[in-house]
Amino acid sequence: MDQIITHFLAALRAPLDALEGLIASWLPGQQVAALVAFGVYVLIILAGGLLAIGSRNLVRAMMGLILTFLGVAGFYLLLASPFLAFMQLLIYVGAVGVLVFFAIMLTKNNTQGEEANLPKLSNGILGFLAGLAPLVALGPLIVLYGPKIGEKSYQATDTAILGRGLITTDLVSFELISIILLTAMAGGVFLAWRRRPQSRSN
Amino acid sequence: MTPLTLFWLASLLLLAMGLAGLITRRTLVGMLISVELMLNGAGLAIVAAAKCTGFSEVHGQLAALFVMGLAAAEATLVLAMILVVQKRFGQVTTAEITTIGAKGGH
Repeated sequence: MDQIITHFLAALRAPLDALEGLIASWLPGQQVAALVAFGVYVLIILAGGLLAIGSRNLVRAMMGLILTFLGVAGFYLLLASPFLAFMQLLIYVGAVGVLVFFAIMLTKNNTQGEEANLPKLSNGILGFLAGLAPLVALGPLIVLYGPKIGEKSYQATDTAILGRGLITTDLVSFELISIILLTAMAGGVFLAWRRRPQSRSN
Repeated sequence: MTPLTLFWLASLLLLAMGLAGLITRRTLVGMLISVELMLNGAGLAIVAAAKCTGFSEVHGQLAALFVMGLAAAEATLVLAMILVVQKRFGQVTTAEITTIGAKGGH
């Protein structure tokens, strides 16, 4: 009788054990916290992104964009890249966010204007399809054929190594990106400046 | 599900949302916001790939930094273009900006 009960309990436990093993295979050791943080960041970028692409008020869309930037900064922290997370905050949240805000305010497009109306149904359907296409095309590829490698190291990348790479192996890219930034800045000033007397004379 | 897969799925999510927004938005400012979403996804994918595979993680992070620099340059230029379009057409709705050169659109 005892044996039967033991077997019965074992049969009951078997699926639970299988589930536990499955979960344990996903989460070796203390990675649970990292996974929870990952889920939170995914929720943040999902909420921010939906706000950014769906809000009828462009200022709210910008706030959604900044929320997404913060979520991505969290991803960089999870990837043990603190310098990149810092740069994400500095460049994206600080600079690009303010640039987008300038763009919104200088076009007087905040509360009224075209974006305040709902999009045409055909546009909505097209947008939905455009969002679905990469998910359908690339999602299965990533899940099925992505490289089956775990994270190499949980050691945070040293900023000094990054700086050394910037002036040795990646020097050309570094110089090129500075030229691009200079050109973009000069072009921006040129574009925005030259038109001013013309519009004032009108 | 390896960490790399999870991070790539997150960046894929950013790409999908950016593309959907790019189609749905009807002003240049809204499209700029969508493009920034997609660029963030690109940076995230690069860093995750460099951190989780055998590739040099320094190069991956520097590439992500370059993507950030490009995004900043692009945002600056787009802001200037938006200003010019605003001055010339009085609006930044893509459906109305269909002529080059002629002043005032339709």
